[in-house]
Amino acid sequence: MGFFSKSSSTSNEGQNQPKVESSPVANQIKTQIAQELAVANATELVSKLTENCFKKCLMAPYDSKNETCVDQCLTKYMKSWNAVSKAYVARIQEASTTGEI
Amino acid sequence: MSFNSAANTTASSLSAESLSSLDANSKKDISTFIESENAKQKVQMSIHQLTNTCFKSCITNVSDPDLSSQDQQCLANCVNRFLDTNIRLVKGLQNIQ
Repeated sequence: MGFFSKSSSTSNEGQNQPKVESSPVANQIKTQIAQELAVANATELVSKLTENCFKKCLMAPYDSKNETCVDQCLTKYMKSWNAVSKAYVARIQEASTTGEI
Repeated sequence: MSFNSAANTTASSLSAESLSSLDANSKKDISTFIESENAKQKVQMSIHQLTNTCFKSCITNVSDPDLSSQDQQCLANCVNRFLDTNIRLVKGLQNIQ
């Protein structure tokens, strides 16, 4: 459910489905789609990380102290991402069983 | 940026002939795949957006890289209040129609 585990599970998705003979071209297309989605996700993450950690850490012109802050911010953001993912998935699952949405 | 250039080179590696020679089974296979990836991507993007919003309101200092229990509670509440708002707004819009 974490960011990295989630993106890596993307490529294994087909294993749960019944085996259908896929042409190499079809597999190539699927691999490409999965790769481009992974790139899009990584880009989005880097952009949001930079936005948030820049705001939190760079109060004054750059000095070496900020590097520690940026590293800590990265760790904290990834932990937050996983916590949000957990809460979101739990809520969606709950909502779909109770018919809220 | 390097990300974009990588995406462009992979996109052009399939020839037009190999695409037009796809049989019905493969097309169905690809469209099922796209549908499921699309659904996953929507969830993924919502989580990106929610993390961005909730990190801003919940995390005040990053001197400790670990999430405190208050941080965790705040993030979970933030997600749930955001979704409450979303559901209420959708219902409100449906009533206006």
